Amino acid sequence: MAEEKKGQDAWDSTQWHEVKKGETLWKIAETYYGDGSLYTKIFEANRDVLSDPNRIKVGQKLRIP
Amino acid sequence: MKKYLKLSAILVIVLFVAACASDKKPAEEAIKAAEAAVNSAKGEAMKYVPDQVKGLEDGLKSAKDAFAKKDYKAALAAVKDIPAKAKDLAAAAAAKKGELTKTWEDMSGGLPKMVEAIKSRVDILSKSKKLPAGMDQAKFDGAKSGLTEITQMWDDAQKAFQGGNLADAVSKANTVKDKAAQIMDTLGMKAPAAAAPAKKG
Repeated sequence: MAEEKKGQDAWDSTQWHEVKKGETLWKIAETYYGDGSLYTKIFEANRDVLSDPNRIKVGQKLRIP
Repeated sequence: MKKYLKLSAILVIVLFVAACASDKKPAEEAIKAAEAAVNSAKGEAMKYVPDQVKGLEDGLKSAKDAFAKKDYKAALAAVKDIPAKAKDLAAAAAAKKGELTKTWEDMSGGLPKMVEAIKSRVDILSKSKKLPAGMDQAKFDGAKSGLTEITQMWDDAQKAFQGGNLADAVSKANTVKDKAAQIMDTLGMKAPAAAAPAKKG
């Protein structure tokens, strides 16, 4: 069972997306923003884990600003 | 015999008056002490447990009424528990203040995170050529005006806190929390655990 978040962790409002097979940043941006060309927003928010917007891995957790 | 009866009646009256007068001073002092206790607890209590203040004031009033009617025994009886109750009232107010302070500290750290996340999403969606599936322009406009509303209300909550009105600040912050959770839902975002609606059952 997942441990319930407490204190300020419980207020964490970061939105996450777990990459599935066949997904691209463009496709993820379409899902959340309706416009694939806004994929750069996701890329910029994940620069700590992404070095190339064309290289995302299945199972990777990405922040969705 | 007649003289004896007359003397007896006078004696009874004198004793009665003396007995009543002997209760006057203690009743007067007890009322003063109770009033002081109520006044000292009242300031904070009115802010945090106003409903409990009335009961105490009613007790004090009935003691004063009895005193005015020279019923010193009744006045003493009405006032005797008030100092202890005033102490309980002060303790209840302090407990409520502590609870509200903790809630405020928690929310004042967390709510700006929600508001910031909503603002970020609204900014991005404002640049989108097309809205995501499940969202239409009316819903998005509603979310945008909701964001303006909660930003203003959060300002108001902080002002209430700075002005020492903790209960009002927490009430406003709760409204911000609920409204922010609704907006996040509209925008297809997940509300943080602290703002998620309570589970039923």
